[in-house]
Formats: sequence, structure tokens, C-alpha cells
Amino acid sequence: MEGHSHGFGLASPSWRANLDVVVTVLIARLKVISRYKGSLVMEMFLPVVFAAMPILLGVAVGGANAGQYFQANTGTSNFKLYMLIGACTFSVVSIMLWLVGYWIRREQETGTLESIYLAPARQVYVLTGVTIYSLLRALLAFLVSLVIGSIVFGVNLLEGNVLGAIGILMLGLLPLWGLSMLFGAFIMRVKEANSVINVMTWVVSFLMGVFFPIAMFPPLLQWVAAIFPPTIMNDAMRASMLNLSTFFGSWYISLAVMFAAALTVPLVGYGVFTFTGRSVRRKEGVGQY
Amino acid sequence: MSSIIKVEKLSKTFESKERKKGQRRKLKTVQALKDVSFEIDENEIFGLLGPNGAGKTTLIKCLTTLLLPSSGKAWVNGYSVLDEEDSVRASIGCMLMGDRGLYWKLTGRENLDYFGALYHVPKAVRRDRIDKLADLLHVKDFIDRTVETYSSGQKMLVAFAKSLINDAPILILDEPTVTLDVPTARELRTIVKELNESGKAILYTTHLMHEAEELCNRVAIMDHGEIIALGTPSELKTSLALDDTLDLDGVFPAKAVEAVRAVGGVTQVAMKSKNGGKTSLSIISRSGGTILPQIIEALTHNGATIEQLRPKTATLEDVFIAKTGRTLDVDTRQIVVQRGESGGGP
Repeated sequence: MEGHSHGFGLASPSWRANLDVVVTVLIARLKVISRYKGSLVMEMFLPVVFAAMPILLGVAVGGANAGQYFQANTGTSNFKLYMLIGACTFSVVSIMLWLVGYWIRREQETGTLESIYLAPARQVYVLTGVTIYSLLRALLAFLVSLVIGSIVFGVNLLEGNVLGAIGILMLGLLPLWGLSMLFGAFIMRVKEANSVINVMTWVVSFLMGVFFPIAMFPPLLQWVAAIFPPTIMNDAMRASMLNLSTFFGSWYISLAVMFAAALTVPLVGYGVFTFTGRSVRRKEGVGQY
Repeated sequence: MSSIIKVEKLSKTFESKERKKGQRRKLKTVQALKDVSFEIDENEIFGLLGPNGAGKTTLIKCLTTLLLPSSGKAWVNGYSVLDEEDSVRASIGCMLMGDRGLYWKLTGRENLDYFGALYHVPKAVRRDRIDKLADLLHVKDFIDRTVETYSSGQKMLVAFAKSLINDAPILILDEPTVTLDVPTARELRTIVKELNESGKAILYTTHLMHEAEELCNRVAIMDHGEIIALGTPSELKTSLALDDTLDLDGVFPAKAVEAVRAVGGVTQVAMKSKNGGKTSLSIISRSGGTILPQIIEALTHNGATIEQLRPKTATLEDVFIAKTGRTLDVDTRQIVVQRGESGGGP
């Protein structure tokens, strides 16, 4: 150390201060969204509209036998609930997957990203606050849209294990967080990525098998889809709510793969994110966009 | 007195892509900082002056850890900007982006609370601190409204309050009075002085020479990434003591300017545009009033119209002109033209 320190003024770094960062960021984000009420409401109806299209198409094509054909490929004739779960899960995945990328982009545009990097709070705590906010928002949208969808399409949500499905959802969100940080690192590097997001949204929904089982894919693509964490989550949630078998055949394998992804993907994501942050600061700085 | 900021041979190079119509993109290396060294004492207001593109913001970004330098070292409050980033950040209160850097959908109070938490100021302390700052900066009337409803000046005041939320020993202010009306700017300068008297070291960048002369104990003048002059304002101005400076208003064709440059004893000539096609000419000479007739003759014989002539005492801008042969305004305009040509973003 060169010279002597004159202290940090009113700052008092501690684990409580770190917790305070998480809570304050969460509260600030909740305040901001509470001032945009319309967007929350739209988010709850969107999965219902998203599921309505294939459901109506199925009824139009299959008529009274639609459920029967569907059962031959999926194991359940309840194609409405099958697609509703897919659409609701996909809305959670969409919110969580682009979370860090959108956060960086928004903060860059408002000029607040530099302010955040100027403060001594570690980015991981700021990101945790933002993530908890998105998680709450995603879960609220998931549950409300599921209930609205069940009323609109006349399906019974309680015929399977709903609590088990929510548990799977919570476990599946951890690798999503990691993927989100990988994508955030990409945005920090390339800045503008709207076109990439537009394309990737369709790729993700395709790989997840939002409206169909991934068993319909050719064998190689099936395995590519099966190691993609959102696909495993979607597959396990459907299995739980519709009493189906999972893609891997056994619950233990699905859970083991999900746990492995929950442990490794966030670590890899955070590592890449912090490495990219430092690399960007070596070049043009985080405020450039 | 010991130094609270120490900078040793700090350099920063950027790679930038040059786009020209019909040509392939070329990578261009820009040296934004070149071997910059200086120290700032505790309890000092240190001014950084220079035109746009001089490297002031890059230097501040390196000192605040927003950018990593390409080479060299720097310590802030005794902590290395390369290895002790968190401690460096905790040592600084910073106002870098003017009225940007605030959440427009939050109120001023909510913004201050948010950034207070990011600076690890405990919640109970934050509450009192925000009230105190609201009193100090007279923002009580609007601090509970969302920032989107503020005027530019009100946003600047809340951004200034944000830099004070952690009451750090070092304050870095980048053009804090831009967009403020004259009385508010004067009041802010008074507060900056009081903060300095209460023990804070302040690094202050500005384009306004009178602001630097009024506030700063020492000033560094930057140009093209280098410090070209450093000292107290009076030292710098005294360095021009042998020189005479002269300001002329009127219309000055290029050949008249060249003719003045050729007059023996004239060391620098810089031209500044004014409204209505008029220009102002700053002439620095070493021969005092004795060459005034030659200067006037060189101008009038080459088609110049002199409307006003003012001998004046040296200012910090004259120091810049004496060192570079340019005014601060000339460089600013050049940068704008380059941006327009490249179609670059903000």
C-alpha cells in the first residue's frame, strides 16, 4: 500500500452491508415496476395467448380425436394442459434467460451502469437483487397465467403434483441464472443484441419443446435438447403435473442432471461474466454502448 | 502534507475502428493518456483543464477503476487502482456523467438511498444523510418526486448529492456546474469550497477557466493525453509574465492571421469563432506593447476589420493557448465534426 488511508467516510463494509445491497436493489426494482403497472398485467396474459394458438390449431386439425392422437406421442391426452405448462414455463425461461443481458443493456442506456461500477458493492450482490426481483416477477407471472389458462381452457391443474413442479421450477432457475450471466457477458461485449435475442427466443422455445415432446426430434437433436437445462426443467415439470415419464426415463437421472446443471452452470456463468467485465474495462469501459 | 492521490506514468491506449465510405474498416490505436504523473494532496482542490478529447475523462475513469490503464500505476487514498479496486471505490464520491446515472422512475430520495446502499452506508445513517444533503443542496422541495419530472439543473443537484452520500475523503467532480443556472452554480462552488475546508480532497474538471481560478489550489492542463502545465493558477499565469496577451474582436481572414504570426515577437495566435461570422483573436507576444503597431498593420493590410482591442491580464486559457497555439473551443468543435462524419453514437 502506498501512503496511508483516510478511511471510507460513512461506508461500513460487512456481510450486512452486502445483504443491504441485495434488498435495496430488489426494493428499487419493485418500485420501478410498480410504476409500470400495465407491463405486469400483460406478462400474465401472454402465456395464455401463446398457448391458445397451438391448442386451437390442435382442435382444428384433430377435431374430437385430437387428444387421442396427442396421447400416442406424449403419453397424455390432456394436450391443453401440456401446452399451457409449456407456454407458462417458457415465459419464466424468457424472463430469466435474458435477465442479465437486458439489465446490462438498460443500465448502459440510462447511464447507471457506470454508477454501479463506481460503487464498492460487488456486482454479484447487485445481480442477486436483480435476479430475486426477476424470479418473483417470473413466478407471479407463471402462477397467475397458469390459473388464468386453466380457467380459459377448462383444465384441472390439480390432477398432478403442482408443488413438485414448483420445486423443479426453482431448481431449474439456477442453471438459467448461469446461462443468463453468459448471455450478459455476450451483451457487454457486443452491446446491441436485439436481433440475437429475437432469433434465440425461437431457438430456445424449439429446443425446450414448448408445444411438443422432444422425442419428436431426430436422435442427435434430441440429445442436444436434452442437455439444455430449460428443456430438462420443462420436461420434468410436465412429468410432475401430468404424471408422465421423463425424457431420461427415470426421475433420478432427471434430478441428477438438474442438480449438476444447478451447481456448474452458475459458476461458469459468473466466471465468464466477471472475466468479460474486467476485459471490457481494459478496453473501452463499461459505459460505452 | 501527504498525497491522497498519486499517479505514476499512467498510460492508456484504445483500439478504435475507423470507418470510411467505400473502404474496409481499419483498426486505429489512440493514445488517450501518455505517461501522466502527478500527486494530489489531502485537503487540496486539484483542477483538470483541457479541451474535449484531452484525456481528462479517461484519466478520471482510470482513477475510479472504470477503466484499467495500459501501463503505469496509481494509488487513491493509499490503495492501488489495479489491485485494491473495492477500497479505491469506497474512498471516492463521484459525479461523472452529469445528470445521467440516476433512475428516472425513482424519486431523488430513492436514488440516494439506492446508491447509499451500494456504497455500504448503513440504512439508519443513510436516512439522516439524505435529509442533511437535501438541506445543504436545497433539494427538499423536489426530492420526493420522480427524477423524470426534474429540470436538468435539479437532476444535476441530485447527482451531486449522490456523490456526497458516502461522505468519502475524496470527491471527483466532472463538470458539475454544466446545465446549472448562474446563482446555483455559484452556490455549488461555495459548497465545494466548504467541503474542501472540512477536509476533503477534490479532483475537479471544468472547461470554465474562472471556475478553476476561483476554486483550485493547483491545476493541471491536459492536451492530447499529456499534462502540459501543472501548478497553482497564479504560478501558471506568472509563467506568462514576460508575455503580453491581447484580445481583438472583428473579422480576420486567414492571411491576416498568418501575417500576425510572422510579426517578430508574436509567440502564439489563436482564433475563436463568435456569433454572426465574427471572430476573436488572442495574440500572445514577448515584446509587450512595442509591437502593437506592427500587429495592427499586419492585420489591416491583409483585409482584417478590427472592432475592438483589449489588452488583458493572463488567464488559464492564455496559458493553454501559449502552450498549444489553440483555444479550448477549437478542439471542441473539431471533435463534434469528427463525430458527425463517422455517424457515431452518443
